[in-house]
Amino acid sequence: MPNHAHPDWNLTINYQEVLERVGGDASFLEELLKMYIDDYNEKSRLIKDAIHRQDFVAVQKLGHSLKGSSANLSLASLQKASLALELAGRDENLVQAQKALACLETEFAKLKDYLQQNPPRPEED
Amino acid sequence: MKILIAEDDLINSRILEKNLKNWGYEVVIARSGEAAWECLQDETLRLAILDWMMPGMDGTEICKKIRRKKNYRYTYIILLSAKDRKQDIIAGLSSGADDYMTKPVNFLELRARLQTGRRIIDLEDKLLFVQRQLKDLASRDSLTRLWNRVEIVRFLGEELERSHREKKPVGVIMLDIDYFKKINDFYGHDLGDEALLQIISRIAKKVRKSDKIGRYGGDEILIVLPNCNVLEVRKIAERLRTSVARRGIKAGTELLPVTISAGCASSDSLSPPSAEKLIRSADAALLQAKNQGRNCTVVHDLAVETFGEVKNA
Repeated sequence: MPNHAHPDWNLTINYQEVLERVGGDASFLEELLKMYIDDYNEKSRLIKDAIHRQDFVAVQKLGHSLKGSSANLSLASLQKASLALELAGRDENLVQAQKALACLETEFAKLKDYLQQNPPRPEED
Repeated sequence: MKILIAEDDLINSRILEKNLKNWGYEVVIARSGEAAWECLQDETLRLAILDWMMPGMDGTEICKKIRRKKNYRYTYIILLSAKDRKQDIIAGLSSGADDYMTKPVNFLELRARLQTGRRIIDLEDKLLFVQRQLKDLASRDSLTRLWNRVEIVRFLGEELERSHREKKPVGVIMLDIDYFKKINDFYGHDLGDEALLQIISRIAKKVRKSDKIGRYGGDEILIVLPNCNVLEVRKIAERLRTSVARRGIKAGTELLPVTISAGCASSDSLSPPSAEKLIRSADAALLQAKNQGRNCTVVHDLAVETFGEVKNA
């Protein structure tokens, strides 16, 4: 089982940081992560659609929005991939947008796997 | 204390809400710029956390709109943004925000910054309270606590304008205490003042809530009566006169048989009405009442410049 404090996993989710942000309330964090997963599924569909239509304004906005919620939950890898998507949208770069989406999907799968094995639990002293 | 969170990101909004509730705030949530603007019409909302990027109106537009609003109680605004370049911070603060924080928010820092906001709001409340007190002091007569001459005349002017628009009359009563000088000379000014206060207290109980009483001069009292024609003014003046004359006024250990005289006028027969004309007419009617033996009410008919009298009962 991966260690919560392991630096690599901290890039997927930094539990210590995010728990601090939610006052150590693990069940509230669980609720937020569920919200994030639902939101991600919806946005990922919209991103694919926007890339398909080459609607770069939408790509940029969706990237920006995902970047914000990822940052709030200390999901550093997803935040980084969202930023790449936002920038690809801004630069109207289709190839970069597709790359960023692929990266997002990989990181999202990683997060889900990790959460399944390591659900949030109260901070340890 | 109430606080607004204007944030379209559901997760950030939930985290903010939870923390703010834990710190004892009453949280109001808006998910768009327009909804935030709607919420901010509630003047009890004095603290706001606005996200810069929102659908519709963004955070900086709301800041500008709030600061443009006149006669508005101060709202302390913290602008949130992922934008962390110097020029973004400058642009955010220049739009009228009091503070700027980059996302993700550090909550210990937010809590401290909100304390600053509360201090500013408390300070404003204290200043407004003192301002109201000073305004009140400047508008009232120090002895009787009635409106002073400037204030009652100003009120009459306002009422005349309003009544002109609404096509309704405004009445005035000018009254004074009969032989008040003699009371002062005989019993002394302290007792005279006490008698004056007792008489005012009786009069104040007999006028309507919408009427305003002012001290026009020494013992001259001016009463402004909105929506009153000359007959109604006379009726009220008579009520005041009899309430004073009915029984003696207690001042110190004395029971003084005091009476008052009243002069009445109303704007319903005056075109165009003016505060000065109305006061002059009521004053002329008061003089007439004095000449007719005091303790009576005289009505001045503005249209025909004649006097109608109600004799002492």
